[in-house]
Amino acid sequence: MSQIYEGMFLLDNDVVREGYEGAKALVTSALDKHGATLLSVRRWGERRLAYPISGRRRATFLIAYYQIDGGEIPGLRREFDLSEKVLRYLFVSVDAVPEGEVELAQAEGASDFAVPEPPDDDALDPEPVPEGAEEGAGGEEASADGAEQASEETPSPAGEESSEEVSSEASESSEPSAPDESDETPEKQEA
Amino acid sequence: MVRKIPKVIAGRNCDDPVLDHKDTEYLSKFLTPQGQIVSRRRSGFCTQCQRQLKKAVKRARHLALLPFVG
Repeated sequence: MSQIYEGMFLLDNDVVREGYEGAKALVTSALDKHGATLLSVRRWGERRLAYPISGRRRATFLIAYYQIDGGEIPGLRREFDLSEKVLRYLFVSVDAVPEGEVELAQAEGASDFAVPEPPDDDALDPEPVPEGAEEGAGGEEASADGAEQASEETPSPAGEESSEEVSSEASESSEPSAPDESDETPEKQEA
Repeated sequence: MVRKIPKVIAGRNCDDPVLDHKDTEYLSKFLTPQGQIVSRRRSGFCTQCQRQLKKAVKRARHLALLPFVG
């Protein structure tokens, strides 16, 4: 029994840079291969991922509505599981295609429709380079600079220490008065 | 000790359409800063709506629209 499904596909931005139509054909051809009737396919957006997938920080989202027999779904899943260009997918069964979805998909086919170029920061940061001999010398310089900075900054901690000493003296001076008061209270109590 | 009652985030009619996993702006209201789904006590949802919320958030997490942690 055929059912309408909503499919969301995360496409690798490298594939989209080579050509959006080719990237879209990856999904549509796989759906056609498994006997799906395409109702609408459109670009949902290009956005940053909440967590990296397959070393990618950004991806292009494609949303498709199609009618397919439920028995074909496992084969379709296997198709997208093996594809490295589709980072992730999600199939959800729906009652009907949402309003306005078909119009949006048709607008994508217009001649003046242009897909913006995906940003370049979709790759993960390169791994930190291990420290070599040259970097070690630089590190020594940095440490020497740090020592100089530390020596320059010494007056301020000294000032703090002096203030701490003052406060400790004040606390010491206040301490002897406390026993006197405590001494007085028993006398008063005795009286 | 007086127990602090958490503020209910948003009211929702059960007749409203099913929560959509693509509406991340709305779903993120029901996540803690660590990315956990808030309790019914905090969200103010009925049992069925809280189940819808759970399903929508987990679908959005799968698509990397919402984070699992943080």
